[in-house]
Amino acid sequence: MDETTTGDHAATGPGWGELGALCLTFFALGVTVNVLVLERVGSESLTITAAIVINSATTELAYLAVRDAGGTQVAAVIAGWVVASRFGLLAVSLGARLRVGVWHRAAAGLQSFDPNVTWAIQQRTAREVMRVFWRTTAAMHIGWVSGIAIGVFLGNVIGDAQRFGLDAMFPAALLAIIGNLLRRRSGALAAAVGGGLCLVLIPISPAGVPIIVSLTGAIVALATMPEEST
Amino acid sequence: MTWTIVAVLAAGVWAQRLLGMFVGGRILSRQPALGRLATLIPAAVVMAVIVQLTVASGSSLELDARVLGMAAAGVLVWRRAPFVVVVVAAAVVTGLARLL
Repeated sequence: MDETTTGDHAATGPGWGELGALCLTFFALGVTVNVLVLERVGSESLTITAAIVINSATTELAYLAVRDAGGTQVAAVIAGWVVASRFGLLAVSLGARLRVGVWHRAAAGLQSFDPNVTWAIQQRTAREVMRVFWRTTAAMHIGWVSGIAIGVFLGNVIGDAQRFGLDAMFPAALLAIIGNLLRRRSGALAAAVGGGLCLVLIPISPAGVPIIVSLTGAIVALATMPEEST
Repeated sequence: MTWTIVAVLAAGVWAQRLLGMFVGGRILSRQPALGRLATLIPAAVVMAVIVQLTVASGSSLELDARVLGMAAAGVLVWRRAPFVVVVVAAAVVTGLARLL
């Protein structure tokens, strides 16, 4: 596929260039997150297992942040679960578009992340939804797993990855992925309300709550905006 | 973090994903009036994640180099720049802003 711009996913799905860039983004995420986790956990095997089994970098970071701040195990676990709530919400979106059996549905649910679900649900047919979902999932995991390996075994060589601006890659990738949704008035309203509520709530609510409350943006857009042709 | 904590965290994350897929997803797919939520939820939730990754530092707001990087990304997305350009530009602008 030719180079695809950030507004073309609805019709075509991500091309190889976009999947490669997403892979690179998850590689950077894998390195930066697992350097931090290894510093606190102190065990390579536990760091790798946590990254693969929990399958949610934000959950690991939220747990460690609460423990760093002196919180109890219970408080840290709850924080880790709450910040993962967005994956449940994204799985709702994906689940509404799937026409597959129970085991396939379960596998897709366990792999629900922001980029793969958001790209997939912009496709027109159930078959295309699945094709884009698994292609994107594969690109993400190739980057994530290699990032884990580099972060755990060479993290001390790389040093502070944030100084290269690698931490900006993930939010930028997410912005590019929802770019097409933002061009619709209902999508823009959902994002503005969701993002605005999150901004207001960050300083005054526990970790993860702003993300859950951002769901209000989707409900407001559904209730106030008429259906648009795509 | 211990092996037990890894198992407990994983159980909670897996449960939420499966509940969303099997319960929430089926409800949405059987209620045509709610069907549009399938595209509106990612718009709202992913934008909230972007805001959090851009301006949050723990539980406080912090305007730093990330904001410049994301501003560059925003302009490029608006101009329909290729995906890879958006991602690389955000990293380069953020990295340069930290150097200055």
